[in-house]
Amino acid sequence: MSERGGWKRFADWVNGETEAGDPTTQYVMDRRPARIQEAHELHEARERLRLKKFLGLYPLAAGLLCVVLIFILLSTVIYIPPFGQPGNPTNNEVSQHYLEKTVEETGASNAVTGMILCYRGFDTLGESCVLFLAVSSVMILLQRDRNNTGERAQLRMKREDAAERGHEDNILQKSAKLLIPFVFLFAAYVLMNGESSPGGGFSGGAILSGGLILYSVAFGPERLSRLLTRSLYSGVRVVGLMAYALTYGVYIFAGANGLSIDMEWMMTVIELAVGLVVACAIYGFYAMFQRGKI
Amino acid sequence: MPELVAQNRYAVVAVILFGIGLLNLMLQQNLVKKVIGLSIMDSAIFMLLASLGYIEGHGAPIVEEGAVDASLYINPIPSGLVLTGIVVSVSVTAFSLALVQRIYQRYGTVELPELLERAKKEED
Repeated sequence: MSERGGWKRFADWVNGETEAGDPTTQYVMDRRPARIQEAHELHEARERLRLKKFLGLYPLAAGLLCVVLIFILLSTVIYIPPFGQPGNPTNNEVSQHYLEKTVEETGASNAVTGMILCYRGFDTLGESCVLFLAVSSVMILLQRDRNNTGERAQLRMKREDAAERGHEDNILQKSAKLLIPFVFLFAAYVLMNGESSPGGGFSGGAILSGGLILYSVAFGPERLSRLLTRSLYSGVRVVGLMAYALTYGVYIFAGANGLSIDMEWMMTVIELAVGLVVACAIYGFYAMFQRGKI
Repeated sequence: MPELVAQNRYAVVAVILFGIGLLNLMLQQNLVKKVIGLSIMDSAIFMLLASLGYIEGHGAPIVEEGAVDASLYINPIPSGLVLTGIVVSVSVTAFSLALVQRIYQRYGTVELPELLERAKKEED
């Protein structure tokens, strides 16, 4: 009985109902003086004065804060170990292990690639997810279609597109025709050879998206969107991220359980996957900011 | 004192850049310029990190077959961390620029005082 009463009281409290059994609250609520309604203009003037005071004080306070912060940081920075010495505390046994064991344990002779794709692969997976989510949110914000664009804006966009199509840049098109195959070739080289030479998924993906953007600038976005349609774009993005997650999952599973699987091809797959995700992300940013659609 | 600064020249420059970026972020009234200030702060951090991994006279960490000796190469860890940082910085910059563009579409301005005024007027 008392339990039920307690539950009822709790429910009443959650619902914000005042308790009938407690006369003091009721009394206080009743006796509270009515709120004095300020004149609207007076209120407005006071608010404006407050804002003016704030705006006058804010730059001073911000500048002072910055100067104090720089001073503190500088006085700290002077006492960190000198630049470029081998005995610095950052150059400890972890980096030594990475440098000495990378070839043996991961098959990659580029220690940075070996480190970010094998030893710290989950970190890089998280990074790819960050890029994926950034593109998705930029799409949510900037996507332009029939639902959120007025007729006038759409007409204006169509006019701009037509004007652009009418003025084809001959120099740009000729040089793009020459350059683009080499850009893609170089991107493929950087992607595939990332574990044995400078490069890797991120730089290769950036070069690949550079080629895509050059194509889009030179030959018009419509020609590119006929080749790289919306569904293909989304498919490549999702497949890249999934391939990374799956391959790295297998890698961790096999490594943790001592199974012998040749790891070298896994590195190449992961690198390709990262490259695709990065290329899609950067090209997606460009297309979204330029036209609002892929 | 001067030699202390010269020893850590990259860190000192990074701190000054960081301060410039922070001041930009706080004092600029234009939202796009605020985003630029944020990127300047990012670059300062990358510079500090990259300089921490450098060892004078050592080569890039691409290990040659056979000759595995850690004292020949620079520290690879900060380079990997900078890579992570660049990706996050690019994502944040793109997202905030997209937000700024939406704000411009909605209110027709990216100047902060005008923006506040218009938003307040609309609220009333």
